[in-house]
Amino acid sequence: MISDYNISRRNTSTSLFGAVDKVALALYVTIVLIGVMCITSASYDPEKGGIFSLSHNYMKQIIWVSISWIMATVVLLLDRRLFHMFAYPAYALGILALLAALFFGREVNGAKAWFEFGSVRIQPVEFVKIATALMMARVMSDYSFNIKRLPDLIKVGAVILLPLGIIVLQNDTGSGLVLGAFLFVFYREGLSKYIYFPALFTVVLFVISFIFTPLTIFIALLVLFTLYNALKTGEVVGHFRFLCGVFLASLFLALVTPMSGYAALMTVCGIAAVVLAVLAIKTRTMMLLWPIAMFVYAMLFVPTTDVLFSHLEEHQKNRILTFVGLVDDPRGVGYNVNQSEIAIGSGGMWGKGFMEGTQIKYDYVPEKHTDFIFCIVGEEWGFFGCTVVVLLYVSLILRLMRMGERIKEPFGRIYCYSVAAILLLHVLVNIGMTIGVMPVMGIPLPLMSYGGSSLVAFTLLIMIAIRLDASTNENDIYI
Amino acid sequence: MQDKGYIRYRILRLVVMFVGAVLLIRLFSMQILSDEYDARATSNIVRAEIEYPMRGEVLDRRGEYLVKSRVCYDVMVIYRELPKEGFDTTRLATILEITPEKLASQLNKASKSPRAPILVAGYLSQENKLLLDEGGFSGFHTRFRTAREYPRKIGGNLLGYVSEVTPEQVSRWEYYEVGDYIGVGGVESAYETELRGEKGVSYRMYDSYGALQGAYKDGADDILPVKGAQLTSTIDARLQEFAEELMVGKIGAVVAIEPSTGEILVMVSSPTYDPDLMVGRQRNNNYAAMMHNMRQPQFNRAVKAKYPPGSTFKLVQGLIGLQEGVLRTSDRYPCNGGFSYGTRKMGCHPHNSPIDFREAVAQSCNAYFCYVFRDMITNAKYGNIKEGVRVWNEYVYSFGFGRQLGTDLYGEGAGYVPTPEFYDRGYNGRWNWGTVISCAIGQGEMGCTPLQMANLAAIVANRGYYYTPHIIKHIEGRDSIDARFYQRNYTMVDSTNFVPVVEGMWRSVNVSGTSRRAYLEGLDVCGKTGTAENPNGKDHSTFLSFAPKDNPRIAISVYVEHGGFGSAIAVPIASLIEELYLTDTIMRPQLVEEVLNFTPNYYQYDKKQQRYDADRAKSKK
Repeated sequence: MISDYNISRRNTSTSLFGAVDKVALALYVTIVLIGVMCITSASYDPEKGGIFSLSHNYMKQIIWVSISWIMATVVLLLDRRLFHMFAYPAYALGILALLAALFFGREVNGAKAWFEFGSVRIQPVEFVKIATALMMARVMSDYSFNIKRLPDLIKVGAVILLPLGIIVLQNDTGSGLVLGAFLFVFYREGLSKYIYFPALFTVVLFVISFIFTPLTIFIALLVLFTLYNALKTGEVVGHFRFLCGVFLASLFLALVTPMSGYAALMTVCGIAAVVLAVLAIKTRTMMLLWPIAMFVYAMLFVPTTDVLFSHLEEHQKNRILTFVGLVDDPRGVGYNVNQSEIAIGSGGMWGKGFMEGTQIKYDYVPEKHTDFIFCIVGEEWGFFGCTVVVLLYVSLILRLMRMGERIKEPFGRIYCYSVAAILLLHVLVNIGMTIGVMPVMGIPLPLMSYGGSSLVAFTLLIMIAIRLDASTNENDIYI
Repeated sequence: MQDKGYIRYRILRLVVMFVGAVLLIRLFSMQILSDEYDARATSNIVRAEIEYPMRGEVLDRRGEYLVKSRVCYDVMVIYRELPKEGFDTTRLATILEITPEKLASQLNKASKSPRAPILVAGYLSQENKLLLDEGGFSGFHTRFRTAREYPRKIGGNLLGYVSEVTPEQVSRWEYYEVGDYIGVGGVESAYETELRGEKGVSYRMYDSYGALQGAYKDGADDILPVKGAQLTSTIDARLQEFAEELMVGKIGAVVAIEPSTGEILVMVSSPTYDPDLMVGRQRNNNYAAMMHNMRQPQFNRAVKAKYPPGSTFKLVQGLIGLQEGVLRTSDRYPCNGGFSYGTRKMGCHPHNSPIDFREAVAQSCNAYFCYVFRDMITNAKYGNIKEGVRVWNEYVYSFGFGRQLGTDLYGEGAGYVPTPEFYDRGYNGRWNWGTVISCAIGQGEMGCTPLQMANLAAIVANRGYYYTPHIIKHIEGRDSIDARFYQRNYTMVDSTNFVPVVEGMWRSVNVSGTSRRAYLEGLDVCGKTGTAENPNGKDHSTFLSFAPKDNPRIAISVYVEHGGFGSAIAVPIASLIEELYLTDTIMRPQLVEEVLNFTPNYYQYDKKQQRYDADRAKSKK
């Protein structure tokens, strides 16, 4: 269906700013301005001085916006080949910065992930996202690269895991999770969809292992997988017999030996899995292997989670427990989310108006100008405002993907997709956390949250994508 | 390859849109479909605060304050708002006028519920409240309250007091919430709904640190408190104070009524107490001290006690006899030191014999009224004695005895008038006129409240009717008090029959008789003494009186437990009160002196007290 593949530039002007994607730029500017407006609402305090006093957070943010836009201009003026060239050094610099922060940085909220220069605090992880995206684009656009080959897959895995490891060591797991966004890019670049199913399965297992006991989980899984096979093969009676056999054998074992019910079931399942696997290989019914493998995986994973969980920090444990609903403590960990939901939920259709949000004004929402800035949109501009903001983000992400598709060489495409993926994950996790569908992870809302390093980093991230896209019709030969 | 990439592009596009849709659906359900968050947002910032009204004040009949309300403040602490770095506790304790230890213990109590306002100290004066505000003690809040104040310090039992509501009261009445005040006893209780006013409420916004941010909706939903109504009492404060002073050291009651209106001029229950004791921080201690006093200062004898009326009841007996036609005023009966019936004899004091009705009233002859009573209940026209007593009951009830008068006094007692059924039960149906003869002279099973006796004085003064006694004559904002207080209540005795009774009472004071000491020149005082026998010790001294004889302005009853003869103490007390009320002066300072120095021997009460104290001391160990 090549005829459908119809994404091409309308504008073929060769002047730099003529070639820039105006839609993406407009979306970017709009989001930034909405952010400034929200920060103004959150931080204007007549007692702190005049409207233009620098003691207000929004004035600081305006300065950061100016700096960002100067840097954006610089990025747009740079030769696109530079980004290709700088991918390695940028990545190396990023890793070094992370290490430096780990050893010499400043601890904020339990994460040793900051540099402090006077009153300015910089979080290197924000810039590592750019470096990793460039690095990923560089590695994956290599002439001989094929993601379906294991060595290449390991290569890109290493590109992610290296910074991820350091970030986890910094105790800033939330930011580290953002690097998981590259799974989105890998999919576009042809990674087998079968990799994604176990990943999804892992996440589901992880969450339910906090809610139910292992015994319950295994009984449910056993029934589920047997049912799946029964439906797939049509042998309902045989599978039913199998299920009964497993349960009776476990029961027998639990009654005769001093084993607990759980241990008995695990033993029987283990033996059954081995027997079934051997049978499947012998009879060449390979499709039986899939559920067996998944089940064995679950048998290994669920007990491991408990061990894993006991090694998590207290606040991380609490966040996870609150998210899965095991802890209901409105004044404790859930307090932020609770207050944030109240603020957003009370916004109604049109919101309470600029600077009229009572929950915001009276400080019921914590971190209202940083991580929870979406509350201001929700409370003061209502569902209308939320829809506008969500649609702006979705449009920007879709635009970036579209730009990626129309860039002819893979470096640009992979980079654009990386940016889109990073934005998507941020928006999902951040907004999701303010409305209680995602755990609290402490990552900012791109371009809107107060904070210089985040704004500058996201500006650079997006501007590089726009710059690469603007080069599509230039006649430079790519190295 | 291009093709596959494009398909995956489209799938990923769907993923992005799906994420957007999930967020928007969740937002839609929160912001549009659910009302829950609105309510929670409001309850986050808005706190309803009760605005307490000023409790109504009480004036005496001349416009002088009996009860005043003064502004005071409760000091509350919200523990979590206290500054982390601590504060000057010694200074705060000084301002609050409590010991630092007390402050520390209250703070400790508050630390157990750190978000709730906990009372630290009550009754903070306005001056100290300003000091507290200037001190800038964060975490401490004041709550406007009013406290009672009694300029003359009189009428403890009469006025009642104000206290915090009990949990039972909170659950019984919707109006009250924990921490509210309510009137207890006396006027405070009887006129609670008028005095309390209406609580208001104000809605204020607070930020997450608990700092006030202003009125919610600019106060549009607020309700202003309505001040309680001012009451004008019928009490004459000056007279009340004088009467209380005269009753010091005596146990008993004084009630004075204006006969032409039923307004209560004086109502003393002795021992009384300073109503200011029931206000302020020492209240609980003072209250406990009173509870342990066997003379029961908090028992309002004037309306609750059941005393034998003694000879004063002869008035009623005579009136019933005249009305029923068993007695003519000219009838003379002999009295040879008493009235003999069967093998028994009802004694009497020495006086001329035989005497007619007027003289019998003046001399308070026991025998005379026994004849009258016997003749009345054994009258053949009733068929049998039971019916006779029943008719007698009806007469006595019509004088206001044996039932509540329907006054506006809190906890009014009914007294007791024995009925045929009572005697049937007591004597297994075997009784005759001799069994009940002591009723003739107000002894035996008869029990009257001092108020009922004063009302009898008013009935005689009015020659046959009374207005229901009451203590409040005007309620602010109302044209009139209850209609029942404007109605004449007639007795079953015609007013003509009262003439000889009044004459006898006049003679008793002005010519010769038991009440001579009540004589006041030119005031035509009428009176009837009573010397009520009782099983506990010395006789009770009682006196009924009204003055002047024509157009009487005051009717009074004085009752002093174990005071001896009626003339010994009840007569001078009543007389002095009449003198002050009618002439505005006291011309007999030596009589005042005599009354003040007169202290009956209350060994019964003292013994009881000793036993009680000993028991308490024991149980404490």
